[in-house]
Amino acid sequence: MIFLSDFLNAEVVDLRQHRVGRVRDLVVLMTDPFPKVTGVVLKGNRHIRSVDWSVVRSWDNKELSLKVDEAKLQPHVRLESELWLSRQVLDKQIVDMDGRRVVRVNDLQLSQVEGSLLLVGVDIGARGLARRVGLEGPGRRVAVGLGLDWPQKLISWEAVDPVKSDESSVKLRIAHTKLAKLHPADIADIVNELSPEDRNAVFAALDDEKAADTLEEIDEPQMQASILERLDVERASDILEAMSPDEVADLLADMPRERAQQLLQKMEEDEAEDVEELLAYREDTAGGLMTTQYVAVRHTLTAAEAIDRLRELEPDAESVYYVYVVDEEEHLLGVLSLRDLIVAKPSQPIRDFMIKNVMSVRVDAGPREVAEVTAKYNLLAVPVVDEHNRIQGIVTVDDVMDRVLPPRGGGGRRRRIF
Amino acid sequence: MSLLRSRRARLLVLLSVVGPGIITGNVDNDATGLTGYALAGSQFGYDLLWVLIVTAVCLAPIQEMVARMGTVTGKGLSDLIRERFGVAPTLWVMIFLFIANAATTVAEFAGVGGGAGLLFGPPARYIAIPLAALLVWFLVLRGSFRVVERVLLLLTLIFVGYIVSAILAHPPWGEVLRHAVVPTFHWTPPFILIFISVVGTTITPWMAFFQQSNVADKGLSPGDLKFERVDTFAGIVMLNIVAFFIIVATGATVFAHHVVVDPADPSAFSKIALALKPLAGQYAEQLFAIGLINASLMAASVLPLSTTYAITEAFGFERGIDKSFREAPAFLTIYTTLIVLGAGVAMFPGAPLALITNLPNIVNGMMLPLLLPILMMLANDKRIMGRYINGRFGNIISGAVFLFLSAVTVAFLLSFFLPGLFR
Repeated sequence: MIFLSDFLNAEVVDLRQHRVGRVRDLVVLMTDPFPKVTGVVLKGNRHIRSVDWSVVRSWDNKELSLKVDEAKLQPHVRLESELWLSRQVLDKQIVDMDGRRVVRVNDLQLSQVEGSLLLVGVDIGARGLARRVGLEGPGRRVAVGLGLDWPQKLISWEAVDPVKSDESSVKLRIAHTKLAKLHPADIADIVNELSPEDRNAVFAALDDEKAADTLEEIDEPQMQASILERLDVERASDILEAMSPDEVADLLADMPRERAQQLLQKMEEDEAEDVEELLAYREDTAGGLMTTQYVAVRHTLTAAEAIDRLRELEPDAESVYYVYVVDEEEHLLGVLSLRDLIVAKPSQPIRDFMIKNVMSVRVDAGPREVAEVTAKYNLLAVPVVDEHNRIQGIVTVDDVMDRVLPPRGGGGRRRRIF
Repeated sequence: MSLLRSRRARLLVLLSVVGPGIITGNVDNDATGLTGYALAGSQFGYDLLWVLIVTAVCLAPIQEMVARMGTVTGKGLSDLIRERFGVAPTLWVMIFLFIANAATTVAEFAGVGGGAGLLFGPPARYIAIPLAALLVWFLVLRGSFRVVERVLLLLTLIFVGYIVSAILAHPPWGEVLRHAVVPTFHWTPPFILIFISVVGTTITPWMAFFQQSNVADKGLSPGDLKFERVDTFAGIVMLNIVAFFIIVATGATVFAHHVVVDPADPSAFSKIALALKPLAGQYAEQLFAIGLINASLMAASVLPLSTTYAITEAFGFERGIDKSFREAPAFLTIYTTLIVLGAGVAMFPGAPLALITNLPNIVNGMMLPLLLPILMMLANDKRIMGRYINGRFGNIISGAVFLFLSAVTVAFLLSFFLPGLFR
């Protein structure tokens, strides 16, 4: 197997066996699926220069021979989509798409295919580390002596996503297309382990919907806020609009006031109003826990009209557990399940078959009370009403559980400590 | 908009007051710190007070650099070292860090043992140390770490006892202040030893790693740099105020009554505890013991974990306190090794506890001249720091600190190998 570490620091000689310098780095062109080595960076006595890979005649055992004289060497013309492997990939973090985690690049595996040298894999194992400090041989002998196998830990280049961020953002947008295909919960896990800059590079590659879902999956409010703070206002408010208002309220409450206000102003008016209403409630009350995304229909409708109304509203999945029935002033009169609506005769007024005895909580109820009501009546969501029994929002069962259960007990993701 | 105020504002204010710098500064007042300052005060009175100003001046640029790097890059120090310098240098740094931190962990458990010994008699340490080790191991893996950290931090208020005790002891304030600004130096090996240990307990490599990770974890952005600087310097000032009063309190009591304290002597702790007599009377030993146990437990729960994170981060091993052994073997092995090693050595029969708690100060003091150039190279790298690289003033100060620390280390090595030079 060929590795980048075999090349680094190798002696370079020209056609007449004159010493030109040592290999400092290899340059690859980001071709699909495997990047191709196009250049080599040499460190001579005085300066560093890069030359085309095509002038390399052969290489073995820590020596690289060139086809031409040193005097005739032409500088390698650097292209936009090229990477320097040692400087930009080696020792850096990289996303392992199959394992859905962030790993560190200990070495890079190369392979000779039809006359070109391709970057095919990433070494993330202890053997790669040992190789870098010249201890792979001794280590293997020890392993063999003990009758053990010392496997390489390699992942294919096809299954990684570089998170490099100090170069042009264009490159990143291309790179993170792989990452964007993962489930938001997985992206959130990965983002958790990245530095702020790298995080933002990932968010730049996601569309608004996906970015919103990912942001909701990150359960550390400080991190959510820091991600938003580093995005520009336009983009941040677009993402916020795609999130549910209760999440947005929680998030904004954690941000510096000016920034939060700025974001609210940029958001569309309806969405911003919803959020502002929620912000008025204390965090540890039903009002603070609730979302304003619920479905309510007028009591005067028939089953068919109510279903039509649902089509118009296009509610999100989590808000159609129940359809609430209200009068003209939003007083809560009853509740329907989707099933009730569908099995009823289309012409039947919903007032006739709705459940009139609705369990609800007041906006100032504590999380315990909300949890008790939810648990006792086996509800997926409980409506929240003001002192005049007007519906203000709903608390979904997952939100209340998050609050009541001890945060560590759920087996969910945890952030690192250091 | 008053709406935003109502919700988390209170919590936020609280959290932002206790920033990474203040946490780091307080964790640094651990068993080694307490012992180092107390030995300084009891052996040489107020002679070493001026060193505190020197250490504060040394510490400030170092901690400011790591805080800035954490804020700007959002990465831990070992991350940056690995990415900038590659595998081999990282390996060396990590080996040194492991040795220094293992020694310090031993010291923390020795502190627990010493405290328990004062409270319940010397054999108590054979119960207290394993108990503390289990407690620390369990607490951290149970994940209530942040809560524990806050509680222990709050308990460091016990150190206020030294301030009160120092005042009640009526030291000659004029002389105290004179010593705080006018350097005194004795060219004798014991003085040089205690000098380097005071420097080494205050400025430690692990603090750099610990504070940077804490800053990075907090998700601060460059806009917060001003806050983070204030926080860093506040932590250093708090650290040094406590150190100052520990030295004054021991100087005004132990030293003033000509009690000879030899760190290798098993009764060293109970002699040092005399410093709290003006405040606590006959309960001085107990108060000292509680303070020592608290400081030790705090560092013992922070240090092994922070070391383990630094090492696993540098080499890209799977990490996290919620991972099983199969998922993160290296993480749990390193962590457990540090605790078992720390508790095990501290339990060694007849181990001179006060000496053990003072030893890491010397190791740490000597490691700094090695770490500082690395910090400076990172903080001056445009590709890492962008426009937040060190200013010229920062580089001059850091360079001076490097020269000073190297000189101290050379002086110590000379006094160790050629003691005749200083007689």
